[in-house]
Amino acid sequence: MSDDNSTNGGPVAKPRADATVDQEGRLVVRVRLPLPASAGPRLLLQLRPKKGQSEETGRVAALEHVGQDEWRAVLETAPALREGRWDAYVLGLPGEARTPLLPGLRDLRALVSGGGEGRRTPLAVRIPYATKDGRLAVRAWLRASHAEAGRIVFSGHGMTARARLFGARLGEGAAVLLHRRGKDAPVRQITPRADGERDLSFTVDYEDLLAEGGQPGAGAEQEIWDVYVRPASGEPRIRLARLLDDVADRKAVFVYPAATLGGMTVRPYYTVDNDLSVAVAPSPA
Amino acid sequence: MKISFLIHNAYGIGGTITTTFNLARALADRHDVEIISALRHRERPNLNLDPRVRLRPLVDLRHEKNDPRHLTPAKIFPASEYRYHQYSALTDERIGEALASLDADVVVGTRPGLNVHLALQAPARTVRVGQEHLTLNNHPPRLRNALRRVYPRLDALTPVTEADAAAYRRKMRLPGVRVQALPNSVPAPALPPADGGERVVMAAGRLVPVKRFDLLIEAFAAVAAERPDWQLRIYGKGEEQERLRALIDRLGLYNSVFLMGAVTPMEAEWVKASIGAATSNFEPFGMTIVEAMRCGLPVVSTDCEYGPGEIIAPGEDGRLVPVGDRDALAGALLELVRDDELRRRMGRTALENSRRYAPGPVVAQAEELFEDLLAARRDGRPPAPGTDHALVSGGYAARDTALVAAGNVLRTVRKARR
Repeated sequence: MSDDNSTNGGPVAKPRADATVDQEGRLVVRVRLPLPASAGPRLLLQLRPKKGQSEETGRVAALEHVGQDEWRAVLETAPALREGRWDAYVLGLPGEARTPLLPGLRDLRALVSGGGEGRRTPLAVRIPYATKDGRLAVRAWLRASHAEAGRIVFSGHGMTARARLFGARLGEGAAVLLHRRGKDAPVRQITPRADGERDLSFTVDYEDLLAEGGQPGAGAEQEIWDVYVRPASGEPRIRLARLLDDVADRKAVFVYPAATLGGMTVRPYYTVDNDLSVAVAPSPA
Repeated sequence: MKISFLIHNAYGIGGTITTTFNLARALADRHDVEIISALRHRERPNLNLDPRVRLRPLVDLRHEKNDPRHLTPAKIFPASEYRYHQYSALTDERIGEALASLDADVVVGTRPGLNVHLALQAPARTVRVGQEHLTLNNHPPRLRNALRRVYPRLDALTPVTEADAAAYRRKMRLPGVRVQALPNSVPAPALPPADGGERVVMAAGRLVPVKRFDLLIEAFAAVAAERPDWQLRIYGKGEEQERLRALIDRLGLYNSVFLMGAVTPMEAEWVKASIGAATSNFEPFGMTIVEAMRCGLPVVSTDCEYGPGEIIAPGEDGRLVPVGDRDALAGALLELVRDDELRRRMGRTALENSRRYAPGPVVAQAEELFEDLLAARRDGRPPAPGTDHALVSGGYAARDTALVAAGNVLRTVRKARR
């Protein structure tokens, strides 16, 4: 660019990487590394293991020398990243097994209106983000088929939500299923209104979630209902989620109003994985 | 030249720190530059400082917070200054020592209380420049009078807008002091500009009442009603968060208006939008307006004192609407939402017009000013031709004195009622 490009002047202890993602999830990472052109540094994406499990082999991509101290890695859309959080490192810096990358500019504009028609399945989404401890990581989703949540409107005692299917078509016996979390927990089934083969809307009457709810008042715990779409009889259920934009952590950003009925507070929300659930909790006294 | 900046706390986050670091970095290409930070509360600055710029903290709050001298009120730093409670006998002492031993050619203060220190304590040979990042009209009368007494000892005073510079010339008697606007600078974004295609309106700032994000949300209701595919994103955090959240719920805008939290730098966010918005009741400069324009966004803003009116060319690269006018704001946003071609054209013009806020041009102005002032010192000339208008400015001084007296009476009455 033109007159001044030194927004991050000065030496930094750890390299800071810029990342760009296109609509299909192709990821380009650029980083400044003071290495000779003959060096062979690599980008490592390492899936963060679940608690108690050990790290699996990460995804490695060559960093290509594209200018004085400028290096670039391209992660093509295939093979897709498994669903989860992938921490970004550089391999091949002198004296270090792997060097964590700091988050630089993340150009995610191609994702902002990414809910288009052309998304193929399995649906793969990659969103680079800054972790709470200030590192660069990539949030990945990989779903054989997908139900994208849309607008939600509220009536005071219920909600009506829209959704669009990817990799599945609505048919005979289509249903929206709300599964309460926990062992032997109940399931509520709602018949959606179809608008074509992929678009649907459905209304949840909160009373239906209260019937088996915890006792209002002392000590009762919050209950969570996870929302699924079953496109047709006999087909596997699909988790309702909102994945097709640039928001890696939706929970605190897409916030919906709560309704109070029967001493309980009901509020739909996005989980830490951007899936849609409904929380039912005793109203504060 | 050897240039020293005196700043409140270089280790924090904020517009004054950002713009001072930008200016210091650009000046360091040709000059010897240091930043003296009155306070320090952490090991490293939050914002990146060019390694060529030396950083010298004076009072380290991590060890000296409970020093008896820091628990004693300041005498040099004026009691009417906004940050008086953060200053003390210890800051008086350390700033005084730092200025007495200063070997800089030019020393630059970055807030009213520090400008008072320069005016009273900088060595006679050093050129004294006071920056003003707030505005004269918005200062309390008592502070205005405190500044009237000592600002004549400055060589130059640099507000961030022409309008504020004009207010200083009119309302303060500053014979021989050069009063010249020096805007904040915004470095060129590293990312390609926005292309005008995204259906996103964007605003950023601390979530505090003066920013009037409530007005923006109310105005956006009209946009969401007509064009439900558009969204409003507001970046920042602050005391208004819960109230704004409740307003979004009340207006049923939870599918359209999003509180995004604080994000720095904003550059990668601005390029996701196609319209910027600024709705403050008061804005001494308007850093986010320039940032958005430098990323290629036309900006709709309230025409508040003083910044927006000098940054935006209405009809060319944005729109100005009256302060607090929700319907005018909604109308201006809708005009840009409806007309893709207008939005794109204004965005391109915004990109072009905002280049004057690049560090290059701004630093050239600062450099020229400092060199002029230094030359005037050498030649024994006053820094500015002596236009003394004691009669007019004396009237403003008398009025502020009356306001201070009235304020005292009011306070006494209130106390008596308690």
